[in-house]
Amino acid sequence: MNKFATSASVEYKKFFHSKIPLITLIVCMLVPFIGGFFMFVLKNPDFAEHLGLISNKAQLIGTADWPSYLSLLAQAISIGGLIVFGFIMSWIFGREYSDRTIKDLLALPISRHMVVLSKFVVAVCWCFILSIVVLALGLLVGIMVNIPGWSQDTFVQDITIYGACSTLTILVSTPVALIASIGRGYLPPLGFMIFTLVLAQIVAVSGYGQFFPWAIPALLSGGEKGLNIEEISLVILLLTSSIGLISTMLWWKIADPFH
Amino acid sequence: MSDVIYTTNLTKAYGKTLVVNNINLSIAKGEIYGFLGLNGAGKTTTIRMLLGMTTPTSGECYLNGKRVNPNNLDIWCDVGYIVETPYSYPELTVKENLEIVRKLRGIADRNCVSWIIKKLNLEAYTTKKTKHLSMGNIQRLGIAKAMIHKPKILILDEPTNGLDPAGIVEVRDLLTHLAKNEGVTILVSSHKLDEISKLATNIVIIHKGNLIKKINGEQLESQLQKSLLVDGKDRAAIQEILSQAGYKVMNQKTPAVLQINQKNAVQNPGKIATLLVQANHPPTLLKVEKEDLEMYFLRTIQGTGGDQSE
Repeated sequence: MNKFATSASVEYKKFFHSKIPLITLIVCMLVPFIGGFFMFVLKNPDFAEHLGLISNKAQLIGTADWPSYLSLLAQAISIGGLIVFGFIMSWIFGREYSDRTIKDLLALPISRHMVVLSKFVVAVCWCFILSIVVLALGLLVGIMVNIPGWSQDTFVQDITIYGACSTLTILVSTPVALIASIGRGYLPPLGFMIFTLVLAQIVAVSGYGQFFPWAIPALLSGGEKGLNIEEISLVILLLTSSIGLISTMLWWKIADPFH
Repeated sequence: MSDVIYTTNLTKAYGKTLVVNNINLSIAKGEIYGFLGLNGAGKTTTIRMLLGMTTPTSGECYLNGKRVNPNNLDIWCDVGYIVETPYSYPELTVKENLEIVRKLRGIADRNCVSWIIKKLNLEAYTTKKTKHLSMGNIQRLGIAKAMIHKPKILILDEPTNGLDPAGIVEVRDLLTHLAKNEGVTILVSSHKLDEISKLATNIVIIHKGNLIKKINGEQLESQLQKSLLVDGKDRAAIQEILSQAGYKVMNQKTPAVLQINQKNAVQNPGKIATLLVQANHPPTLLKVEKEDLEMYFLRTIQGTGGDQSE
């Protein structure tokens, strides 16, 4: 086994022996059920009348059809993903500081770059798995609720948008790893995630969302049909992701973890 | 450069605070160096620099003749370490934690895990999650992680913390065996000076970032101060008699006895006894006591301004 595979297998073991995969899986699995419930409410207005506030919120989604439902899932992964994927990143990197196990990773025949890269690989893989679970479960719930408006053409398009939103949200989570490393724990990245989420809403409302990396996936999810993301947005997001990745690697290489 | 652990003018400053100042260490193969210092003296920072965890402000570290730097990863194949309190992944068992270290250290032999578990008497805890381990067993696991790859160099910061007396003896015997029979070079820092005195072949004392004493076992033995302890029914009278006879008598607080450090008294306690008997104050205690490492250490750091000496 080469050094990277070894390092990745170690990170895999550390991650999957913790409770984080289960917790994040449960959280993500709630999303399709909530979306399905909204669709059910929209499909059954008589029932919705008895629900008051929930009915009003469900009306915001629009109509009970597959495009609205898949768009809802894409929005959920774009906004909720910032928190869930960020939490995964913050745990994978921050736990080494919180559990004080960082010392065991600093004087090894395996480079720190490799350790960091392995952590990113495990985090990204799990985030993708969660995205797929949300989609698969979403489809199942959609079928169970019997949502109308199925069309193969729009379905492919909506799935593509969902996939793009998931990918972009995962990519934009890399700076969280840097914040967890600089902040030496979970709290600073959690603060950072909440801050970026709130700021993304404000920036999006003020019309500059396409220039703010953490607002871009949500803009894509709520946009008109098709992948209508501007090139500049994609460049900004990829740049942010690369900066997160490279800075984390550099930080682990040069920073004094004790001071 | 035949020394296994070697530093040249090793210095670390955080801003204007000089934490380690021009430390020159040279430790030969198979030696056990006791690294002593008060809290904040710079021991752990020196150890972190030796392990490449903290970059020196100036100076260099060499392990096995290779310079410690971020790109020289092969160095770590031969180095085992504990820095401060050892920690493990709490959700993993003892065996899983050691498996992780085995993999990260690139050890192909899977039996090394069971070997080190047996060596450190951790068999009963193999499948126990480390979050449920006692402090002593966490320490044993830390030592196991440091030794699993049979390193040629061991750098251990407080390795016996939390161990019970039996565990301390086990670890001491293990380290002594490794140094004597397998030529492992060991740098061990500890606040347990009694333990260090039983383990180390050489002593290094660091104070306020400066290396103030580097001494081997024989030199230490000759430098340990001897004193004569005297006591009797009327301590004040005895003190008066001895002072009049020209002895510099001090009151030792614990135990409450009189203490004379002068060579002529230590070498000839019979003369003191005769003097006191003749004065009708026969001593109830007359004992030559040798200073222990703790007292030597305290005397050394109190008596220096921080200059480096060999």
